[in-house]
Amino acid sequence: MEELDLLKKDWQKSGDSFEQVLEVEIYKMLHTKSSSIVKWILIISVLEFLFWSLLTVFLNDDTYQSKMQEYGIENLMFALNCINYLVIVVFIYLFYKNYKTISTTDSTNQLMKNILKTRKTVQNYIWYNLAIITLSIIISIVLVFYHNPEFISLMENAVSNGHKLLFISITIGISILLIIIIICLFWLFYKLLYGFLLKKLYANYNELRKIDL
Amino acid sequence: MNTNGIMSDGLEESFVQQLKANQNIIHKICRLYTNGEDAHKDLFQEITIQLWKAFPKFRGDSKFSTWAYRVALNTAITLYRKSTKTIKTVDYEQQQFYISHEDYNFDEEERLKLMYQAVYQLNDIEKALVFMYLEDKDYSEISQTLGITEVNARVKMNRIKGKLKKILNP
Repeated sequence: MEELDLLKKDWQKSGDSFEQVLEVEIYKMLHTKSSSIVKWILIISVLEFLFWSLLTVFLNDDTYQSKMQEYGIENLMFALNCINYLVIVVFIYLFYKNYKTISTTDSTNQLMKNILKTRKTVQNYIWYNLAIITLSIIISIVLVFYHNPEFISLMENAVSNGHKLLFISITIGISILLIIIIICLFWLFYKLLYGFLLKKLYANYNELRKIDL
Repeated sequence: MNTNGIMSDGLEESFVQQLKANQNIIHKICRLYTNGEDAHKDLFQEITIQLWKAFPKFRGDSKFSTWAYRVALNTAITLYRKSTKTIKTVDYEQQQFYISHEDYNFDEEERLKLMYQAVYQLNDIEKALVFMYLEDKDYSEISQTLGITEVNARVKMNRIKGKLKKILNP
């Protein structure tokens, strides 16, 4: 077939006409899988941050503010919020740094170290969030103890009936149960949000390790 | 892990060097299987990743280029299989294009372009055959790579020639 011969002639001389891929680009290709996962971790953490911030802005209305003032913890809450935002911004910066290092790494060995580091960062981030949530639940419970009129009258009732100890132990029991349930829910939330990505990242790590051995 | 790490970097370096030196064969496969620069780059990257995954099994009893083109062809065939649906619509449009230009006289460059487009319309296995034909591989190698008999490879190649003729002169 004449056309096919024409093609063959062109084919054999066209060998060098392709734009050559550089070494650096090949290294990058080998590592993109990890870097795209780390990119998603970064994006999700920013989205999550925005979500919580917006939620705070919407919930933070005048009644909330006046209540805080009434309880006398306005300054404490403000300081806590500031510290919290600062820590989260630092975490997002760390995610960004991880993403940058992973997408520019040019050795498998270094990449594996960075994957482990990223994993650690995400895990710390999750632990930090769970701790902050526990702290805020404890603060709310203490507020209820001291300021909720219904709770106070219940307490007074119990004291006058001579059930003070029982009442306090039941209250603490319920509080602990509440904390555990809420923490579990949030843990599940983070597990779904980041667990999937971490699992993929770790699979990549294992793949690299297999080549390593 | 550290001592192994050095080894792995050595392995990676040797892979990257060899791939760089033999990249034209992969570019050629990309040229047959893709239409457009971005698709070409994507396929190149996918092949690179698949080669890297398979590299520990490469024992060096064949040449790197031979091993690489086989893995690359397999990657292209597998990927192409997954996207047959989108390809079909493209085929149809290209078919229209040829009919409307049928009466013109093409110079060599134009004929080559049409020929490449015609090859692009072949299916995954047919493209692999054309690739090996253009690379001057003999039928025993073609049959080995594709896992078919030599006779079958010849029959297929003849059928491809007929198919290409039909695409070019509908």
